[in-house]
Amino acid sequence: MADKCLICQIVEGEVPSKKIYEDDDIVAILDYNGANPGHSFVIPKQHTPILEQIPSPIIGSLFNVANKISSAIFDTLKVQGTNIFVANGIPAGQKVAHCMVNVIPRKENDGINLQWPPKQLSEEEMSTIELKIKEEIGSIGFSEAPKQKQEKPKQISEEVSGEDNYLLKQLKRIP
Amino acid sequence: MPGQQQMTEEQVQELQEKIKNMSPEELKEFQKKQCIFCHIIEGKVQSKKVYEDDKSLAILDINPANPGHVLLLPKEHYSIMPQLSEEEIAHLFMVAKTISNATLRSLGVQGTNIIVQNGVAAGQKAQHFMIHIIPRKENDGLNFELPQKEIPENQLEEIRKKLASNLGEVKEEEPKVQNIVKPKETDEPKKKESKEEKKPEKQASKKESKGKTKEQEPKQEKPKIKPDGKEEVGLDDIADLLGVK
Repeated sequence: MADKCLICQIVEGEVPSKKIYEDDDIVAILDYNGANPGHSFVIPKQHTPILEQIPSPIIGSLFNVANKISSAIFDTLKVQGTNIFVANGIPAGQKVAHCMVNVIPRKENDGINLQWPPKQLSEEEMSTIELKIKEEIGSIGFSEAPKQKQEKPKQISEEVSGEDNYLLKQLKRIP
Repeated sequence: MPGQQQMTEEQVQELQEKIKNMSPEELKEFQKKQCIFCHIIEGKVQSKKVYEDDKSLAILDINPANPGHVLLLPKEHYSIMPQLSEEEIAHLFMVAKTISNATLRSLGVQGTNIIVQNGVAAGQKAQHFMIHIIPRKENDGLNFELPQKEIPENQLEEIRKKLASNLGEVKEEEPKVQNIVKPKETDEPKKKESKEEKKPEKQASKKESKGKTKEQEPKQEKPKIKPDGKEEVGLDDIADLLGVK
């Protein structure tokens, strides 16, 4: 496949990278052009374009690895802070169609801006949003049925490979 | 807001002295009393709650980056992420994923940013660890574009070695890679020693983590979150949302 995902190629070792961590599900590499030296990507091995497609158990280990890298950065690189950052979707700044977690070492005045100007919403707007999100979380469902949990990863992988997926197409268009 | 009253300089000094002499337990209790988010969790301060379980609470940020900006908090008071247990991190980020999914579906947005700030230099403003989930639309005025720095190859390799060794150099345990690593055995004694020291640790930690995951499974907390159940249905929705320009 000519347009094989670059990140998948890195995961499979077809493209060289600076690997700092690897287990069965996850690879972590250094960014060659990091926002700061030590900027790392934590990558699920399975090709999943957006965060919502990653099976929950992998989410758990993904962010635990991110946290371990963040701690390792604190231990070894004499930094004053770290950011864990995910850009999920194009408007959020996502550049490749393979979801990954950024771990960014931080020092004061390092030129990185992850700040935002605070917006003011009316009480009514806030209440509407509260209700919408709350209802949606309810409909996504929090159930205690563990059996279905085991089926999930398979279903997800099927979907991820679906070429008709709108998001996949969208992300592929990114140069 | 509680805990934010103006204090005289004398009072501040007195307080600093008091804090110095506190036991870790006392200090944690003290931090809790001072923390606005602990007050929110305890219900002493009102908030717009979008999700709550026995370990976590998600509320709307009153000064959002975008409408629907959610703060996800562990109910326990922690300052930064390295203080949380593996179980807590796994739980929180599974909830974060669900919230992100819910904002994508319910607010007509086309993306989300998940941001954690560890330390003031990283932009942390509150003393209670939290995960920001920020809904994103095109041209919404936010810009989290990261700068790209030129990092010399030798510096990169030095950092790689430091981080990989701190993280346990998992690669070396794989038989495939061991062949490649062989030449290292002829390295200086120093490196050998550190390798030998680390190996038992690695194995121990591997066993530990394996044990942990086995223990976790029967626990209630994990199955409780079942965001994926409907995601297979909703994935197209998200994709559509993300695809709409």
